[in-house]
Amino acid sequence: MISKEQLAGALTTEPVSGGMVEARGLVKRYAHKTVVNNVSFSVRQAEIFGLLGPNGAGKTTTLEMIEGIRTPDAGTAVLAGLDVRRQKSAVQRITGVQLQATSLFPELTLLETLQFFASLYPRSLEPRKLLSDVMLEEKIKAHPQELSGGQRQRLALAIALVNDPQVLFLDEPTAALDPQSRRMLWDIVLRLREQGKTIILTTHYMDEAQMLCDRVAIMDGGQIIALDTAAGLIGRLGAQATIDCRLDGSASKSEIEELTGVSGTRQTNDRYIVYTETMQATLIALLSYSEARGIPLTDLQVHTPTLEDVFLELTGRQLRAE
Amino acid sequence: MRTRIMTLLRTNFIMLTRQRELILTSLGLAIVSMLVFGFLFSSNSASKTRLGVVDQDHTPVSAQLVSQLQKSDALQVFSGSSDEEQQALRDGQRDAVVVMPAGFSQQLVQGGARLQVYYDQSNPVTATSAQLTVKAIVDGINSKIMHQPGPVIVDQQAVAAKNLREIDFITPGMLGMLLMWANLAVGIQLVNWRETGITRRLAATPLKPISMISAQVVARLALSLLQGALLLALAIWLFNVHIYGNIGLLALVVTVGALTLLAIGFAIASFVKKSEAANSILLLISFPMMFLGGSYFDVNSAPSFIQPLVHAMPLYYLNEALRQVIYNGAGWSAIQTGMLVMIAWMVASMLVVWRAFKWL
Repeated sequence: MISKEQLAGALTTEPVSGGMVEARGLVKRYAHKTVVNNVSFSVRQAEIFGLLGPNGAGKTTTLEMIEGIRTPDAGTAVLAGLDVRRQKSAVQRITGVQLQATSLFPELTLLETLQFFASLYPRSLEPRKLLSDVMLEEKIKAHPQELSGGQRQRLALAIALVNDPQVLFLDEPTAALDPQSRRMLWDIVLRLREQGKTIILTTHYMDEAQMLCDRVAIMDGGQIIALDTAAGLIGRLGAQATIDCRLDGSASKSEIEELTGVSGTRQTNDRYIVYTETMQATLIALLSYSEARGIPLTDLQVHTPTLEDVFLELTGRQLRAE
Repeated sequence: MRTRIMTLLRTNFIMLTRQRELILTSLGLAIVSMLVFGFLFSSNSASKTRLGVVDQDHTPVSAQLVSQLQKSDALQVFSGSSDEEQQALRDGQRDAVVVMPAGFSQQLVQGGARLQVYYDQSNPVTATSAQLTVKAIVDGINSKIMHQPGPVIVDQQAVAAKNLREIDFITPGMLGMLLMWANLAVGIQLVNWRETGITRRLAATPLKPISMISAQVVARLALSLLQGALLLALAIWLFNVHIYGNIGLLALVVTVGALTLLAIGFAIASFVKKSEAANSILLLISFPMMFLGGSYFDVNSAPSFIQPLVHAMPLYYLNEALRQVIYNGAGWSAIQTGMLVMIAWMVASMLVVWRAFKWL
C-alpha cells in the first residue's frame, strides 16, 4: 500500500518561482482557528488549476487572499510579478473574479451592470459582446434577480471577464447547477484557457476537477495535502481499479490484503474498498474468498479510481460527506 | 478618469431613482401630505398677526422699534402695559406679546439686550407665525448691532410675510421629512450591499470603497435637491406658496440637512449587520422624528417634558431652518444655531462611522 507521503509527494517537487500566480505561505486565522495554514503553490500561464476539497477546507479563503479581498495573516501571493499585498490595485486590474455567490445591484439591467464594471478598469471589453459570449444576449435588459441559476453564473463569468483579465478566479463555478448548465460553463472555461488565460478554480466535484484541471491541489483542514495532475494523483494509488463491497463481520482485512493483485485496502465497519493492480484476478479471488468462507458479499461495485479515492486514501473521509 | 467618475455617479443615481420604496416614502409621502393639508385647511387664518408691544424703556430707540413694527403689513400692533397685554394674550386677543424692558436701549449699545416674548400656544399656526416674526425682528436688531451700531431698524422684508396658512407651515416641514426619508435610508442600502455580498464583489475590483461611498453621497444629495425642488415647485404652482428667503441659502440648508441625515444613516450601518434590522431601526428613528421633529405640527408648543427630546432631533433644527428661510426670508444669523447643531450631529456620526464602519 502506498503511503500518504508518497501520495503527497508532488508538494516537495513543486517549483517555487516563475509561475503566473504564486501563493507563498498563505495563512489566515479567525478567533484562534486557523482556516488556511501555510498554503503555497505555483500556477503556470494558460493552466487550469483546481483547488479540490470539502466545504470548510479553506479553498475560498485561499482564493480571496490571492484576489486581494482578504488580507493574509502571513504570506502573500504574486501575480504576473505583482505582489497582491503591496500592489493590490495593479493586481486587481489584471484579474477577474467570480465569487461563490455573486450578488449584483438589483436595480441595474445586465447591460448596465456590465457597463458599470467595465468603467472600473482602464481597459475593458465591449459589454454587449461579453454578454453574447456567455449566451445572455437576449437578457441584456433583464435584471440579475430575474435570471436562472445557470444564467446568473454565466453573468458572473461575463463580469469577471470584463477587463480581459490574465488571471481568472472561479469559486465553485458550477455549484448547484443542472448538468446542461455545467457542460456549458465547462466549455466556456476550456475556451478561455485556449485564449491563454490562467484559471484557478475551486470545486468539490471530483469529475469537474478531473475534467477541467491541468493540475489539482487537494485541500483539507486549511492545508494542501496533495498536488499533481489528476492522472498523477490517481496513478499514485497504484491501482487499476477500485472494488467497493460489503463483507460481513467474519471477513478479515489482512486476509483480503493477501488476495491476488491487491495494492491497498480500506475498511469501515463491514464496508471494504479494495485497490487492485489486476482487476480481473482480484475480483475472482475476492469472489472465491467469500464463497470458500461462506461470507455473504453484497453491494459490489467496481470502478476506475477517481480523485474521490485519492481523497479517501489521504484523509480517511469521503469528499462529499454532507 | 472623468468618464469613470461620471459612470459611477450616474449608476448610483439611476439605482436610487429605481428604488420605488425610496421615492414613495420620500417624495410620495411629502406630496400626499402637502395636498391633504393644503386642500383641507385652505381657508385657514388669513388675518394679520396680532402683536402686543410693551415699552418699558421709554427711549427714542424703543419708540423707533415700535414704529418699525407698526409699519409692517403683516402685523397688527397693540401697545399697553405688561399686565394688560399679557391678559389680552391669555384671552386670545393677541398672538404674541413683546416686552422691551427698562434699559433696553442702553443694553443695545453695550451689548446683551434682551426682548421678552410671550406666545399664544393654543394655535400652532399663529404661534409659529408670531415666533418667526419676532425672531426675524430680533435677528434684524442683532445684525445691525453686530455690523454697525446705530438706530434699530427692523428688516421690513423679514416680517413682510405675515399671512401664514397651513400650507405655508406644512411645506417646509414636508421638505424636511422628505430629506429625512431620502437620506437616512442610505444605512439600509449599505447594510444590504454588505449582507448580499455586493461589497465583496466590488472589493475584487480596483474600485475603492471610499469612491463608491462618495458617489452614493453625491447621488443622494442630487436626489434630495431634485426632489426638494419638485416639492417646492408643486407647492408654488398649486398653493401659491412663496419662498421669501435666498434660494442659495435654502440650497445650503437642504445640503447640510441631507449630509447630516446621510451621516446618521452611515452610523446606523456601522452597527447593524442585517438589513431587516436596519429597516426596523430606521423606522424606529424616523417615525418619532417625523412627528416630534415638527414636520406636521408645531412642536414648540408641545408639553415641556417632551421638549428635551424634540431639541435632540436633527430634523427639528432642519425644519426650523427651512421655515425660517422659506417662510420668513431669514438670513444666516437666524438659522446658524440650528445649522451648527446639525453639523455637530454630522461630525459625531462621522466619528462613529470612522471608528466602526466596515465595508466587507
